[in-house]
Amino acid sequence: MLLDAVLSNREGSAARNFIMSAIWWSILGMGAGMLGGLEFSMPDLIHNIPQLSFPHLRMFHVNAVAIGWLSMGYVGAMYYMVPSLAKTKLWSERLGNFTMWAWNAVMVGAFCTLLNGATEGREYAELGAVLDVLVAIALVTIASNVYMTVVNRKVKKLYVSLWYFLGALFWFPLVYIIGQRTFVALPGLNDAIVGWFYGHNILGMWFTTVGVGMMYYLLPRLTNAPLYSHGLSMLGFWGIALFYAPTGTHHILQSPVPEWLKAIAVISSVFLLVPVLTVLTNFFMTMKGKWQMVVTDMPLRFAVTSCMFYLVTCVQGPFQATRWVNWYLHFTQWVVGHAHLALLGTFSFILTSAVYYGLPRLTGREWQSQGLIRAHYWLKFLGFLLMMVSLTIAGLIQSAGWAFGVPVDQWGLQIRPYWGLRAVSGVMIVLGQLIFAYNVFKSFYTPAAKVADAKTAEVKA
Amino acid sequence: MNGYRLGAIGIVITFFTIITATVLLPMVLFNPKESGHGNKYVKTDVANPARGRQIFVREGCFYCHTQFTRLQDRGYGPLVKAGDYVWETPHQLGTARTGPDLTNEGGKFPSEWQKAHLINPRALKPGSIMPSFSYLTNRDMNDLVSYIQSLGNQRTVHAYVEAPAEYELVYLPKKTVDTNSDAAANAGRGIYTQNCAACHGLEGEGNGPNSISLEKKPANFTRGFYKQYPDAFWFYRVSEGVTGTRMPRFNEILTEEERWYLVAYLKTLPQNQEVVVDKLDQLNKVGQVHLPKLTEQEWEPHSGGD
Repeated sequence: MLLDAVLSNREGSAARNFIMSAIWWSILGMGAGMLGGLEFSMPDLIHNIPQLSFPHLRMFHVNAVAIGWLSMGYVGAMYYMVPSLAKTKLWSERLGNFTMWAWNAVMVGAFCTLLNGATEGREYAELGAVLDVLVAIALVTIASNVYMTVVNRKVKKLYVSLWYFLGALFWFPLVYIIGQRTFVALPGLNDAIVGWFYGHNILGMWFTTVGVGMMYYLLPRLTNAPLYSHGLSMLGFWGIALFYAPTGTHHILQSPVPEWLKAIAVISSVFLLVPVLTVLTNFFMTMKGKWQMVVTDMPLRFAVTSCMFYLVTCVQGPFQATRWVNWYLHFTQWVVGHAHLALLGTFSFILTSAVYYGLPRLTGREWQSQGLIRAHYWLKFLGFLLMMVSLTIAGLIQSAGWAFGVPVDQWGLQIRPYWGLRAVSGVMIVLGQLIFAYNVFKSFYTPAAKVADAKTAEVKA
Repeated sequence: MNGYRLGAIGIVITFFTIITATVLLPMVLFNPKESGHGNKYVKTDVANPARGRQIFVREGCFYCHTQFTRLQDRGYGPLVKAGDYVWETPHQLGTARTGPDLTNEGGKFPSEWQKAHLINPRALKPGSIMPSFSYLTNRDMNDLVSYIQSLGNQRTVHAYVEAPAEYELVYLPKKTVDTNSDAAANAGRGIYTQNCAACHGLEGEGNGPNSISLEKKPANFTRGFYKQYPDAFWFYRVSEGVTGTRMPRFNEILTEEERWYLVAYLKTLPQNQEVVVDKLDQLNKVGQVHLPKLTEQEWEPHSGGD
C-alpha cells in the first residue's frame, strides 16, 4: 500500500508527477529571478538577508528553472511522449516515480544549499557533490527507462522525436558528468574550457535536442498534418549532433585560451545555422495552410511562438559567436537577453505547450478555463518581449560603454530605466506562471467537473 | 533494433570524437607554464586572502565581476596571460560585467574603502546597484577584502599613463612615421594648426579662443605631465578623444599617418609654466571674422515675404 502511494504503478503517473513538480519549481525559480530583477532597480529592497542577496538568488534562479522547471518538465513530457510514439507503456512506472522523487530531492537540496551560498563556484554547475551524484543517478535511470520503453516498442520505425529524445538521453548524462568537475581540480583555464563545454551543451545536448523533439511531436499532432519531410528532419538531427557539441569555447572567446579551440567553436557555431534553418523549414512547411489554427488552439499558439523565438535566438547565436560581434557584445546584458530568449522564449514555451496538450490526456480531465490559458499566454509573451527589448537595449549601452572606455559608474546610470522595465517584465512573467499554476490546480486537484473519455482513449490507443 | 544500429554507432562516434577534440585534447595540449604574474595570496595576521577567495565564490561575486582583461579594455591594467591562471580553480573568469572588471583591482582603493563599499556601496558610489554585503562577519569581510587587494598584485604597471594594450600591440608596431624627426614634426604643425589650435592654442598652452566657453578646459601641453607621454598614449588620445570633454575622436577625421605626424609635433611643444585661462584678455586674439551679411530671405527662407 505504502509502496503504491509513494511509487505509484498507475499508467501515466510518473509523467504527471514530473510535470506537477516542474510547475512547482518553475514558480520558485521564476520568483527568484523576479526578485533578483527587482533588486537591480532597488538595490536596498532587501537588506541583511544573505539568502535573498542577488548572487544567491541568481544561483537558485538558474538551477531552479534549468534543472527544476525545464528538465523536470522535459522528463515528464518524454515519459508521456515516448510511450505514445512507441505505442506501448512506459517500461517501469515505479522507476519513473523513483526518479521523480530523486529529482525533487535534488531540487530541495539546491534550495537549501544555493540560497546559503554553498556552491562549487562554477557557473551553471553550482550544485554540490552529493546533489551532482544524485542528478547523475537520476539521469542514468531515466535514460534506461526510456531506452527500455523504445526497445519494447510496438512500431517498427522510430519517429524523429524519438531520435532526439534518445540522442539527448545518451549525450546529457555524459555532458553532465564531465561538466560538473566535482571531484577534480583543473588548472584555471582548463577548468573554464570544460566548464563552458558543459555550460553550452546543457543547452545544446539537452534543452535544444529534447525541445526540438517536442516540437516535432507537437506540431503535427496539434495541426493534424503530416510532417513535411522526414529527410530534412534527419539532416537537422545530424547537424545538431555534429555542430552543437564543440561550440562551448565561444563563451570565453576573448580570454587567453588556445586559438585553435576558439576557431573550432566559432566555425561550428556559424554552421549551427544549417540544422536550425533545416528544422524550422520543416516546421513552417508542416504549418502550411494551418496558420489560422493558432487563433483558437492555445497549445499550438504556444508551440508556434516557441518556433518563432527559436528562429530569432538561433540567428542571434551564430552572429554573436563571431569574433568581431563578440568583441563588442560580450559581457553585457545583450547576452542575458539572448539566454532568456533560448530558455524562456523557446524552450519554456514549447514545454508549456506540451503541458497544455499532455495533462488532459494523462489525467482524463479538461482544462477548467480557456480564459486563464489566454491570460497566461499574453502575460508570458508580452512580459518576455519587454524583457528581451529592455535587456538588449541595456546590453547595447553597456557595449558602447566598454568599447569607448566610458567608466562603469557613468553607463551604470544610463541603464537604470531598463533595469526598471526588466523588473516589470519579471513581474508579468511570474504572474503568468501563477495563473498557469492556478489553472492546473483548478483542473486537476479539485473534484472533476468533466471527464473527457475521448482524449483518454486517444492516449491508450 | 537492427535497422538503427548504424545510427546508434554514428551518434556514439560523433559524440566521443567531439569530446576528444574539445575536452580531452585541450587538457593534453594546453598546459601553460606559470607566468609568475598570477595572483599571490599572502596570509597576514589580520586576514587570509586564500579564504577570502572562498568567500568571493560563496557570495557569487563572479556573476557580475569578471577577472580577465581584454585588448580593448580601458583603464583596467595590464593584459592577462594564459599562465596567470594556473592555480585558479574553480576559475573566476566570469562572463558578464554588470560591475567593473576586477583583474587588477588590488591596491586601487584602500582596504577600509573596500570594506565600507561592501557594507554600503551607495554611500561610496552613488547610483551603484551592487548588493550590500553587510551580513558578512568581520572575519569574512577582512578575508574578502584581503583577497580583493591581492588581485593583480604580481602584474606590474610600467608607466604612469598607459594606452590600452591595443595601441601598444597593434598600432605602434605598424607606425610608419619617425615621431622623433623634425620633418615629421613639421608635417604635424599644419595639422595641429588646422585641427587643434582652436582649443589648445597656438603654443599648446590650452588657451585657444574656444577654451573660454568649455566647461572642461583643454589640456595645456606645456605642463611637465605631458612630457612623459609615450607615443602610443599620444596616439590613443588623438585617435579616440577624451570621454566627457569636447575633445573629439580624430580617427574619424585624420588618417593614421596624419595622426602620427601630429604626435611628432605634439612632442616638440616646450615645457613651460602652467597657464590658467580665466580671463578673456589672456586668450589668443583672433581677428573678427566678417561673415557675408545675410538678407532676411536667406536667414529665414520660409518666413514668406518681408
